[in-house]
Amino acid sequence: MRVYRKEGNTVQILCFPSESVEKGDYLLIEDLKIDRGLIAQVIDVHFANVPGILEELLRDSASDEELFGESFDPLEVSSHVNHIQDAWMLICKIRGCVENGKLSVNTSWLPSRSQSKVGKLPMASLSTLAKIDGTLPISLGEIKESSHLIIDAHALDGRLNIVTGKKETGKSHLSKLLALSLVDHGATVVVLDLNGEYTNLGFSSNGEENKYRSKIHVLTPGANLRTTLFQMDLRVMLNILFHALNLPGTSAREFRRIWQFLRERHNLTLDGLGEAIKDWKCNQQVRDALFSRYHSLLNSGFFTDIPAEATTLEEFFDRIQEGGALIINLRDVSVVDRQIVVEYTLGKLLELFTRWKLRAVFLFAEEAHLYLRETYWEDIVTRMRHFGVFTTFVTNQPDTIRENIYRQADNIFLFNFTNERDLETVSRAARVDAETVKLIAQNLPPHYCLVLGKAVKDFPIVTRVRALDVKTMGQTRLFFQ
Amino acid sequence: MRSVHGERFQPYANPYTPAERSFEDPLPVADSDATGTQLIRLRPLPDETTVTAIDVSSIRLGETETGLLCAIRGVIVWKEKGQYRYLRLGPFPFHITEENKREIYSLFRQYSFERPEGMMTPSLLNIQARMGNLFERWLQMCVSSSCRGDLILWDGSLTAGTVDSPVNVVSQLLEIARIGFNSVLAFSKVSRLRLHGHRIIDLLGECQPPCLLEIEDVHFPSGPIRLLGDIYIAKFSRGSCSFRLDIDRRIPREQRLEAMQKLLGNDVLHQGYPETLRLAHIFSTFTASEVIGIQRYVAQEWGLRMVTRPNVRRLLFGPFGKGPEG
Repeated sequence: MRVYRKEGNTVQILCFPSESVEKGDYLLIEDLKIDRGLIAQVIDVHFANVPGILEELLRDSASDEELFGESFDPLEVSSHVNHIQDAWMLICKIRGCVENGKLSVNTSWLPSRSQSKVGKLPMASLSTLAKIDGTLPISLGEIKESSHLIIDAHALDGRLNIVTGKKETGKSHLSKLLALSLVDHGATVVVLDLNGEYTNLGFSSNGEENKYRSKIHVLTPGANLRTTLFQMDLRVMLNILFHALNLPGTSAREFRRIWQFLRERHNLTLDGLGEAIKDWKCNQQVRDALFSRYHSLLNSGFFTDIPAEATTLEEFFDRIQEGGALIINLRDVSVVDRQIVVEYTLGKLLELFTRWKLRAVFLFAEEAHLYLRETYWEDIVTRMRHFGVFTTFVTNQPDTIRENIYRQADNIFLFNFTNERDLETVSRAARVDAETVKLIAQNLPPHYCLVLGKAVKDFPIVTRVRALDVKTMGQTRLFFQ
Repeated sequence: MRSVHGERFQPYANPYTPAERSFEDPLPVADSDATGTQLIRLRPLPDETTVTAIDVSSIRLGETETGLLCAIRGVIVWKEKGQYRYLRLGPFPFHITEENKREIYSLFRQYSFERPEGMMTPSLLNIQARMGNLFERWLQMCVSSSCRGDLILWDGSLTAGTVDSPVNVVSQLLEIARIGFNSVLAFSKVSRLRLHGHRIIDLLGECQPPCLLEIEDVHFPSGPIRLLGDIYIAKFSRGSCSFRLDIDRRIPREQRLEAMQKLLGNDVLHQGYPETLRLAHIFSTFTASEVIGIQRYVAQEWGLRMVTRPNVRRLLFGPFGKGPEG
């Protein structure tokens, strides 16, 4: 391999197919005279612009169809000619520099074009140089040279993560892997499970209970996730009324009065609320508005007046103090009820953080745009993060996540996208250049993931996500069995 | 090539420059004293006659400290039963030095009809073209002796008496072809021959193709030049180029015309030029990537270290330093 050209942050390297370099590989361009090396990542592979290639191809194409013949080439010179014609040009991005055996960010120098030695940088060496693996290892999957990509759980702690890619590329699988790995390290995980895909994490693929069985708690709204009005904070209830049930401000003011009235009389029950709205002296339209919301709450099945039927999140969090996951199963839950549950859960989390009942949680949100209200996006990346909610968004529609989320994302786990618009959206992430995202992600096979961000110390790495021995598949109902 | 091992060589910056072909139309830039012209209308005569064409290319790869590196390749293309076929021979790289040039030249000449005595080894400057020419003559001989009743197309003319085309060599080649009832037709893409001050290939002007213009009784007053073929100007398709066409003059006139009509009937004539000859040229020509490939072969197999010599003209005259390096 030889250095051909450098423009900005891009280096072009001449190489031959026998050197078996692929997109995503790392190269070390060593200038031995000055004992420095540039670390560059291959983001694209072109054919080298060999002069005369068009004439050669035209000549060969004629011989393919209409001409038959043979060549007497006793010196086998043609193999050398073919070798030249097959030459590749590797388009690489400079990622760092090695000086005296240590990683540095100083890439403002140029290696010698004639004297530099260019070779593949083994992933294990890169991992050691960049100190990617840490004290809390999470094995993500296989990388080149039969090694594994091991990231540090600290790189997810206090961070905003995005897992994205088109359908059936392995996003949910990776987020399950991340969630279980965090559980392994004693973390508290909350999953907003839209399709009930995480409900079987406590079982092995053969259906037997696995080591996570006691650490995974599946909470299904209306079944084992219910609450009494008494347990609820007025602020959370008002959020539900405002954002999930679109209650107008005037009606909300009356509701607040009713709520306080009932609380003072220790009658904060569904029946009590219904009676109070009926007897409350107020405008008929306000009464109608309050009644319609009351019935929505009632029909959600999420609320109960029987304390024994109610569950408290505190109780579950207590059970998983040594590490575990609460799976909020939103499968078969209507849009409005889903929003009610999410408002309740997030409100409850904030309440617990404020009271220092919880240290922090890792929140996994699948297709969050389907249940997360607009104002929460900002909250999650700013305010809630400081409280201790470290979110991982999982989506196959990258444009449903706002640009500012991408800009502030600390880690992106990117699977294949073929649609350029999707890639354009993801490429707004601040932690990597747009070209890398577009050129590498477009050719990722299923289950291969490009990891970007702090988890890999800003050295984008492609990994084949490892298999999990858990019942992970979503239960998609099919017509043809 | 063994003599080159470990030497440095200077690859040529413009590898597209092939050796000058001195034999295509070696007639001097002068009017001939031809007595007249005759226009002949042609009618395609399709039959199963095989059309065979030969072409050879040579190219300079670079210089070493002691000599030069070049490569030669020859191609035979033939159209038989409507199907084009080819045989490519080479590329053969050579390292020619003052020490080995005589040996190499003798090797090439032993397959020609030239007498070895009195042999003058050409200078390094010309040897590449001479080797290419000898290789082409050898291929022509092979084809002439192995074919029967074919049309054999040469690239160039049937003018003899030059260093590249001694009269006895060309005569014997034509004779061998005739023995096998073959007809040799030589096509020159360019001709310096003039008639009454006009370039002969411009003489057909607006004539309706396919047609031939026979230039009768072309003689040259003095010198060693001999015309072994009768000269025609051929225009085979509308709005396209005319070519100088030499046909073995020892073939009866009727057979010559029949050969022309068989060519029209049995080969594709793209822009008025025979497809077999066009393919032979295409397959023998060295592309730039081939030149790089052969340079790589030479460097790898013979351990040559590439060096880039400074372009003295460029150094001295900057952007005004045109012309060849050195």
